[in-house]
Amino acid sequence: MIATQTYLNARPTSQIQAMKAHLFKTKRQISIERALLYTKSYQQTQGQPLILRRAQATAYILDHVKISIRDGELLVGNRTVRPRSGILSPEMDPYWIMDEIDTIATRPQDQFEFTETDKATYRKVLLPYWQGRSMKDFINAKLTPEVKGALDDRVIKLNQTDKGQGHIIMDFPAILSRGVGDYVTTLQAKIEQEPDNDFFKAALLVFEAMQRHFQRYADLAREMITTAPAYRKVELAEIASMCERLETKAPTTFYEALQLLWMTSIVGQFESNASSLSLGRMDQYLGDFYQAALDDPEIPASFLHEVLGDFYLKTNDVVLLRSAESAKCFAGFPTGYTVSLGGYDKYGQYSVNALSNEMLDIYHEIQLPQPNLSVRINEQIPRRFLNKTCETIRLGTGIPMIFNDEVCIPGFLSKGVSLDDARDYGVVGCVETTIPGRTYGLHDIALFNLMRVMELAIDDLKDDPEVTYAKLRQHILDKIDHYVKIVTAGSDIVDLGHRNFAPIPFLSALVEDCIQNGKDVTQGGARYNFSGVQGIGEPNLADSLYVIKQAVFENHELTFKHLVEVLHSNYAGEDGEALRQHLIHDFDKYGNDNAELDMECAKIFRHFALELGKYHNIRGGEFNAGAYTVSAHIPLGEDVGATPDGRKAHEQLADGGLSPMVGRDHLGPTAVLKSVSKIDNTLAVNGSLLNVKFSPATLKGDNGIKKFADFLMAFTQLKIRHVQFNVQSRETLLDAQKHPENYAGLVVRVAGYSAFFVDLNKHIQDDIIARAEHSL
Amino acid sequence: MTQGLVFNVQRYSIHDGPGIRTIVFLQGCPLHCPWCSNPESQGPVRPLTWVKNGVEETITHWMTVDQVLDEIEKDEVFYRTSGGGVTLSGGECLVQADFSAELLKAVHALGINTAIETTGAVPMRSVQKVLPYVDQALFDLKIMDPIRARDVIGDNVAMVKASFEAFLQADSVKVTPRIPLIPGYTTVPENLQQIVDYVQSVGVPEVHILPFHQYGSQKYKYLKRDYQLEDTPLLTTEEVDTIHTLFESQGIHAVVSGLE
Repeated sequence: MIATQTYLNARPTSQIQAMKAHLFKTKRQISIERALLYTKSYQQTQGQPLILRRAQATAYILDHVKISIRDGELLVGNRTVRPRSGILSPEMDPYWIMDEIDTIATRPQDQFEFTETDKATYRKVLLPYWQGRSMKDFINAKLTPEVKGALDDRVIKLNQTDKGQGHIIMDFPAILSRGVGDYVTTLQAKIEQEPDNDFFKAALLVFEAMQRHFQRYADLAREMITTAPAYRKVELAEIASMCERLETKAPTTFYEALQLLWMTSIVGQFESNASSLSLGRMDQYLGDFYQAALDDPEIPASFLHEVLGDFYLKTNDVVLLRSAESAKCFAGFPTGYTVSLGGYDKYGQYSVNALSNEMLDIYHEIQLPQPNLSVRINEQIPRRFLNKTCETIRLGTGIPMIFNDEVCIPGFLSKGVSLDDARDYGVVGCVETTIPGRTYGLHDIALFNLMRVMELAIDDLKDDPEVTYAKLRQHILDKIDHYVKIVTAGSDIVDLGHRNFAPIPFLSALVEDCIQNGKDVTQGGARYNFSGVQGIGEPNLADSLYVIKQAVFENHELTFKHLVEVLHSNYAGEDGEALRQHLIHDFDKYGNDNAELDMECAKIFRHFALELGKYHNIRGGEFNAGAYTVSAHIPLGEDVGATPDGRKAHEQLADGGLSPMVGRDHLGPTAVLKSVSKIDNTLAVNGSLLNVKFSPATLKGDNGIKKFADFLMAFTQLKIRHVQFNVQSRETLLDAQKHPENYAGLVVRVAGYSAFFVDLNKHIQDDIIARAEHSL
Repeated sequence: MTQGLVFNVQRYSIHDGPGIRTIVFLQGCPLHCPWCSNPESQGPVRPLTWVKNGVEETITHWMTVDQVLDEIEKDEVFYRTSGGGVTLSGGECLVQADFSAELLKAVHALGINTAIETTGAVPMRSVQKVLPYVDQALFDLKIMDPIRARDVIGDNVAMVKASFEAFLQADSVKVTPRIPLIPGYTTVPENLQQIVDYVQSVGVPEVHILPFHQYGSQKYKYLKRDYQLEDTPLLTTEEVDTIHTLFESQGIHAVVSGLE
């Protein structure tokens, strides 16, 4: 070979598939390393201000956590040496881990091995230290009788009481243009101006630790050179010098930009151990770097492919350890490396570039649950990009999901977000939207079970001889108002818990206005300060009210009291079952384009959203409504008895959030979209979710793609906020359930994210199989 | 007000004409094809019930043009984005020619694509009524031998050909011959060759071939009627390929559709 071999063309063959295999070779295990380091640091910083203790703990982890560079990696930075380890954060909640210490390896959803030695350390060291001083203790002590009552009534669920808040997109464009060094000097200057501001000091501590962390990787890479094969020596040498450059300098190449992006994300993970530190509009802020790489004749396409592929794999390396209850609602590791592609730019033009296309193309090859790609579509989307989007969906993994700019942007405008910022929205977590780098949005703070509210309201009126439909409906609305007030109070307690126990200075420095305000995001330092509460069960509620209205109050088929008795009996006996079948089949259901019924659903959601919007959180921001369940329609269904829509006690609620109740839509996908469009999706500022399942045959060939793209353009015009697709035949899924060993790599859509089918418990698998499949 | 007897309005149809379509199925058909997948449509135009899961159901509904338009309009946004529209089917939709013409005229006036699925087994005056309002005719060619056609399905081949040629002569109509491949009926080699000869003689370069399916079998039970093709096996891929080649080798492009 005459040409000088550089890191750009060193490797003889692609390493991506080998690296992918390595990632899933070992069983998931719990790692207590971070918890031990965090605790050790905490023991040394007693008496100091909390934010400084947190920052020192993060810095201590960055300085001491075991690091490795795995075979074939071009990008460095891992949370654990062993891939896909579950990380504990006992400082948030030490109790659930203790409760589940012996079941976590065998629980129905998201199992992790936990070695006996580590369990013993947990019992002896970690639990005793954090007992009584965790965030959970603080939150539990603060819960008012009213909030406790609503929790006990199972109307509300408060999230993030046991782990980091997450659901945030850092200002990646800023750090990519400024480099780490610029943050260090800015913070140093700030400290000089305001020596008493602990936020600046805390942020600086972590940024400096990030620099040292880069150096540790540089040193490790050099150490590894001696024993590495020839081609790898060249790559390791480049990794070492790149890490050193990135300690201070802004990246100048696509490779460096990806490395800094990943390291920033990893430091954020060490700091908060939260779900959904999402990636935002990656094609937009990396598009120029990528184009420059394409234009550079020295850089082979194979290198760009390897480095981007490596990035994709890394997003699957981080998994989130959840409690059993949380894993029911968010099953299959939705880590939330969500990426938004395309969409309007600040000039109001559709923005798509070479990287937008490449990010879909490379997905065809990798097909893993993360990064969770989404495509922002609007009326201007070029057909070529839309077709590529459709072709990727046709792979059947549910990726990408689709977001509608024509809904999301007006939604943010209605909440006081500027036009430039609204157009720059990104997807965070599963289906929530946020303004990247400018928002602390607590997008996943609470769940609100509308069906429980209905059930309680029905019970209140069961002996009322004067009951009318109007009276019942009004009573439900009043109860919604009552519990909305409580859910906002409960959310504020969790918000305060994070402020008092879990400030995140590094991440805050990467959220616009925090440095200017000198405040952590938990203190309200960000430009936008939302809290998002998900209303769950709208479709079931609408179906139920429609049945009550018609069967009881219009047709007088049965009395209200009789209906309540049948519900309490869970449709017992032959008569009960006959009535249930009658209520299911002889009354129209949401999802079949019945305007009267759908508008009732719309009115209730509107009421909920507007009521919620009346409240402000402790950071001065508004509460926003969401209409998505992720997988919570299963556990929240367990909390609800039999309902008038023919649903038996404890059965699941409608999946997704805005999808029709499973099995109740029978007019095909256009009717489903029409029903969903009746709900003013603009009001679901925090997020909404619609699952649609197509049979693979429907999408076959160029004509299948064309009609699918046309369908999505109609979706755009119907002003529906979100849709995602499962394109696996029923037969495939049934077979996968029977022979999981043959389907280790089968990725399916759960709700707002994709997961390995075999990683899901049977309930959720059955739910996915049952969702109506549309075809002809 | 003209009313039509409708037995189904099916949304999100993507295999019967361009784009995303709604199909309006009209009751009544002069033919009695034993493979019919909509047996409830056969016979004169008259209200009908069947017994499904032990329950007697009315399956036909008299509807005005406005009432059908209300249903059609529900998916208007999908027609607009996909270049789709409305397809009248049956039965033989031209049996209710006045209603069909009025409905097609109204849909056409909204700028929505119109198509009909027809056997052509109707008098010329019925064809003439709809002709100005049809963008596409999906025209069934089944059995071409006049005697067999009469005896097996009650068809009048001369009438069919006259209708076909009338659609063909109207420049505004795209005509697509559709050949249901029914083992033992339409797939016999002489019949297929007669179809090839005919489409060649009238200068049509493309046909759609629709392999036999059993989707309608359940309906015979609801109607308490015998279904003669109960045991007829589906065509194998090889059999379909052979038929496909028969057309292609004689210069007729054959599109296989409905094989999902």
